[in-house]
Amino acid sequence: MPAFRQVLPILVVLAAVIALGYPLALVFGLPLARRDLSDLRKWRKELVTSLAPSDLTPLAEGGAITFSPQPGRSVLVLEGHPLEVEPDTDANAVAAAAGRPLLVPGEVPERLTDLLYRFPVEALAGEGADAIYAGTRLLKEGISPAAERPDGKRLDFTFEGAEGPVLVADRLLLEGEGFNFDQGRVILSEAPPFGSEVRRIAADYAVLDAAAGIVALARPAAAPLQWAQEVVRLAERLGGESDGANRLFTLEHTPVLENDRGRALYLDGSPLRGNGERPSERVSGERATFTFESASGLVVLDGRVLIEGIDYHHSGTEVVFVKPPARNARLRLHPDYLLVDPERGEVLLAEPPMPGAVLWVAEYSYYSEPACGPTLYQCFLALPQHPVPFPHWIARRVAPFMSKFPLNDERNVVRATFYTTLGTLAALGLGGIVGILLAVVFVLLRPLERALLPWVVASQTIPIIALVPVLLLVLGNFGITIQTSLLPTALIGAYIVFFPVVVGTVKGLRSIDPLALDLMRSYAATPSQLFLKIRFPAAVPFLFTSLKLGTAAALVGALVAETESNNRRGLGFQILGQVQSGNVADVWILLILSGLLGIGLVALVGLLERIFAPWKRA
Amino acid sequence: MVEPRPSAPTGCEGTEVVIEVDGLSMVYSERGAETVALQDANLSVLNGEFVSLIGPSGCGKTTLLRLVADLIQPTSGRLEVAGKSPRQARLDREYGYVFQAPVLYDWRTVLKNVMLPLEIMGVPRDERRLRAARLLERVGLSGFHQQYPWQLSGGMQQRVSIARALAFDPKLLLMDEPFGALDEITREAMNLELLRIWEETRKTVVFVTHSIPEAVFLSGRIVVMTPRPGKIERVVEVDLPYPRDPETRESERFFELATEVREALRGGH
Ligand SMILES: Nc1ncnc2c1ncn2[C@@H]1O[C@H](COP(=O)(O)OP(=O)(O)OP(=O)(O)O)[C@@H](O)[C@H]1O
Ligand SMILES: [Mg+2]
Repeated sequence: MPAFRQVLPILVVLAAVIALGYPLALVFGLPLARRDLSDLRKWRKELVTSLAPSDLTPLAEGGAITFSPQPGRSVLVLEGHPLEVEPDTDANAVAAAAGRPLLVPGEVPERLTDLLYRFPVEALAGEGADAIYAGTRLLKEGISPAAERPDGKRLDFTFEGAEGPVLVADRLLLEGEGFNFDQGRVILSEAPPFGSEVRRIAADYAVLDAAAGIVALARPAAAPLQWAQEVVRLAERLGGESDGANRLFTLEHTPVLENDRGRALYLDGSPLRGNGERPSERVSGERATFTFESASGLVVLDGRVLIEGIDYHHSGTEVVFVKPPARNARLRLHPDYLLVDPERGEVLLAEPPMPGAVLWVAEYSYYSEPACGPTLYQCFLALPQHPVPFPHWIARRVAPFMSKFPLNDERNVVRATFYTTLGTLAALGLGGIVGILLAVVFVLLRPLERALLPWVVASQTIPIIALVPVLLLVLGNFGITIQTSLLPTALIGAYIVFFPVVVGTVKGLRSIDPLALDLMRSYAATPSQLFLKIRFPAAVPFLFTSLKLGTAAALVGALVAETESNNRRGLGFQILGQVQSGNVADVWILLILSGLLGIGLVALVGLLERIFAPWKRA
Repeated sequence: MVEPRPSAPTGCEGTEVVIEVDGLSMVYSERGAETVALQDANLSVLNGEFVSLIGPSGCGKTTLLRLVADLIQPTSGRLEVAGKSPRQARLDREYGYVFQAPVLYDWRTVLKNVMLPLEIMGVPRDERRLRAARLLERVGLSGFHQQYPWQLSGGMQQRVSIARALAFDPKLLLMDEPFGALDEITREAMNLELLRIWEETRKTVVFVTHSIPEAVFLSGRIVVMTPRPGKIERVVEVDLPYPRDPETRESERFFELATEVREALRGGH
């Protein structure tokens, strides 16, 4: 089984490479996974909000909610003011603890149509956003304008993320009576006049006329609509003692987002301001007195909380430093509180709350867990791109990748391999012929060799990535592109191949034993006989060695040529495409494929060598 | 001195002079340094004669042979081969040359190596195959037509090279230490074989050797040369009768002649 014995080493190496793929995949992938695991920016963000009655219903059913109230960490809030009772986290118990229904309805709204209601004017006034309920379900207000402007003639409009009825000015249009859909666009039956407003209800309802109390629903209400005059909500209470001295409190869910615009902390009924105010003056390095909007608060210099009386004094809205802060230092005044440690959710208040005061939070965000999963290995698996994929992932991609396009499509990988093979073979042929001819000329005419050889060498110092675009441009002028012809690939490959062929063949043609030349002289052989019968056959093994060297290089040349931007044929295009779209496994398939193609082509040259130079020792 | 001699005692009747060397000198000059490789050599070799050139290394044996073969041109003196200038003789393919090394062409099979001179001389295809096969049979290599040179032993390769030199049936065979690289046993076998071929074909042979017994055993005349400058010391007539066989080597006359050659060689110093 000589064939088997030849294939065996290849198989052994292949097995070794595959086995090596696993540790390599981990070696290159785990650091990336570790980054995903430890970088907070790659964690999932979770929102903690106070819970409305409709949120509390699933809690009573054992359903999921965003925060898990612990004893002592929850507080019931009525219209922004904490109630003096300890909540029990069963919804009914909450209601009982509040000593009142969670929702106190106001006047029942007047139903005008299925979708139109008239509410008492005060229901929509002020912070009425969470005031309308269908049963206990809180409805959300939302409306989005059309992307296009009405010009008096236009009938088709598009809306982003809206699916309710359409409003033209304040007129409600329903699907089928007023508008229809066509490929995601809304087609009105009548063109809205120039300058009028065309909108669509994006959430549960929209306020059509606040002064008249007219509200339009996106869809008919599932339960009776009610206007909530008062709502008891469940909110998170901050950890920490309110004893008149303690200023440090903690949020339950950590790490907290540092720059969270939505964070809403309250001390009893008043909201706290956590954002730092900038001083009105520049921190010049000499100036010691700065003015802020607020008259009191925490003075923070480069992240360090300064102590009043030691570092500075307050004088009205002015802060007077004992020593001027350094030039361009970051100076902020946090009027009410500062998030001192987002990692542990620690909040420092400017003033210690009075004993019994309740510090609670209506809304804040925290990082719940790494988006990729809790373990390093899960994060590794979840990497969007593995620099070295597991070999079996690559294997699994082979069939789908190969059959992504039908065989008659030029983007099919098998077809691409075929193009590249043809291009490289053409390059070998062309480069071989040119190389041989040049070598013959050089051997016959030594002066010509001396004149031309430096240029041959110089030609090889031009990088092909520079040559390829130039050549393609020139050929493109004649309408010859890689897309339509093998010629460019062949030329580029030949340009690479001819050099080793020239060098090798010249050496081969000159490799004749002087005695062998004497012998031919003794036969009175003519120069052409000498060339054909002695020099040329002697050069054949040299030629094939050169061709083998050239094959690999020609393949690279072909691949580089195929990455040309207008081309869609060949493995080079495939590699570029998969690299650009980040399909690492597919890139690896292509790399392996190119490698195998190289082995195959060199083996083919070897086969030709056995046919044309059978005398070589085995 | 030209020494016209009667042919060997076997009654080899040729009196036609095949090689005429008259006052021949060869001086190599290389980078200013001059080497007198051959000085005033005089020699005539008759048709059908077996003449050996013997002498220590550097005495100009190869030089003389190469002059005859028109592979180099003499500095002075006159040289005629088959009654013509060496160049004309070469163009007329009057001689076959066997080098110390077999000089076979790697890419040709044994048969094709032997056919090479015939190819060059334009012998029709069928005939050259026939002739090559016949010569390979004569040197005892009938079964090796399709082998490549590297598949043969050194002795076999040298036999191919002899067959090749004989292939186009030249009048004259120039052999430069053809068996120099072979072991003693093979060499003696090859000697016998060469002698048999010579007896069959009656070619004129000029044979260079370092071995006194080889020279005595093969030759009708032995040209003894001495170095620095290379010149012909004397010519020893070998009167052992042909056909010779291994017993010849044990005869008293053989030893006497060997001693004579040895003394002549020593005399040059
Ligand atoms: N091409 C050459 N150029 C310069 N000197 C040469 C050349 N060929 C031979 N010689 C010199 O000529 C002299 C005779 O050389 P030649 O080869 O004829 O000796 P030879 O008798 O054949 O010796 P050997 O028995 O070692 O083969 C030597 O001194 C050698 O150095
Ligand atoms: Mg010699």
